[in-house]
Amino acid sequence: MNQADVSKLISQLRIAVRPKARNLKNKDGPEGRLLKLRKTVTALVKHERIELYYNRADEARGYAELLISNAIRHGDRHKATMELADYWLLEKQLVHKLFKVLVPRYENFNVSYTRMYKAPRDYPGMYYKKSVLELRGNPYPALTPDLSQNRNLLHNVLLDEARKEFKREQLAELANKLAAESGTKSTTTTSVTSDMPKEQKTENETPTTV
Amino acid sequence: MSRNLFLSITKFVQHLEHLFLPNGSPPPALALAGFHQQINDVGSTQNFNLKQLLGNGVLWAVPKHRRTVEKRLNRKFGYPEYVWKPLKVKTHLRTCNQCGHDYEVGVLCPHCYDKVRQETQLMQDKIQEHLGLEPVEQEVIVLYDGEKTAEASDALKGKRIVEMQKQRPMWFTKNLLQKSTQQQSETKEVKPTDLG
Repeated sequence: MNQADVSKLISQLRIAVRPKARNLKNKDGPEGRLLKLRKTVTALVKHERIELYYNRADEARGYAELLISNAIRHGDRHKATMELADYWLLEKQLVHKLFKVLVPRYENFNVSYTRMYKAPRDYPGMYYKKSVLELRGNPYPALTPDLSQNRNLLHNVLLDEARKEFKREQLAELANKLAAESGTKSTTTTSVTSDMPKEQKTENETPTTV
Repeated sequence: MSRNLFLSITKFVQHLEHLFLPNGSPPPALALAGFHQQINDVGSTQNFNLKQLLGNGVLWAVPKHRRTVEKRLNRKFGYPEYVWKPLKVKTHLRTCNQCGHDYEVGVLCPHCYDKVRQETQLMQDKIQEHLGLEPVEQEVIVLYDGEKTAEASDALKGKRIVEMQKQRPMWFTKNLLQKSTQQQSETKEVKPTDLG
């Protein structure tokens, strides 16, 4: 019974990781490959959205996810995590960003911390596939169209109707009040303008159990 | 008379040949371009031999059988399941619902992505202007022209504000930043109606 829960010893990533690492060719061998990946992870944390070749992006994504996940799980007082951050982030001012910006941002996420898209290529162009790798919650414009803004979607239609009904009720209430005040006097129709309640985006992110 | 003269001359020539070439005159040989020397050598020693000519490898590299029609067509056009050489129909192209340009399925739309990429590049340049060696400790909020006063102050608390010196692009609107009412225009011009 005193055994540790094996499933919680290492971070469980929310992305699909290939069983075997890609052989990213480099003239300096495995060290060169690792340096390239470290540069990529550093750039991702720094710029939050980068465009690069698909293979390297997919490889670097796993390491970035692991780094953020470990930082969330162990915090900045954990020696191994700090060494990991020191290894993967070549610019040391980004170690602060990892623990002070990214950890609070992703603490309650139950989805992956990064997102990857396939980027278009010129035809016929280069053979290698390109991709866009980004951190979630970045300040840049979204890469995919926001379909929640479509007025004809069912939930938007229902929300519109609910809003109209709410407005109608308010108007009726106001009219009743005015009628009660004026008593037997002739009622005058007044045009009432009320501000629409502002729509607020609700993020459906539930806290994760680590 | 003339026949007798011809015969005597022929006899004389044969006599001369017999004097100079005791083994008889050389046999009539096939004339092959480029093989003068060899043929002469052969003729001087032995008779002409077809087997020897084949042994030299002159007549080897020729097809023995005609290729079938199927083979020839496969070599020309390829095989549909494996390698098809002529042009193929692309069935993974779609039209973007936002901009109307064509894109590959599963890949970002080139036109929309290019728009976003340029804006992202501008924002990244602006954000990195003030990134030095100091530790990065704050989230970044990017505000466009005329948005700083509109934003609530507590939303900006503890965040680094980066201001873009331009209007927010029309396609890049945050829902919370949308204007709820349209401002009235100040022009007094009346739109003409019922023209023509």
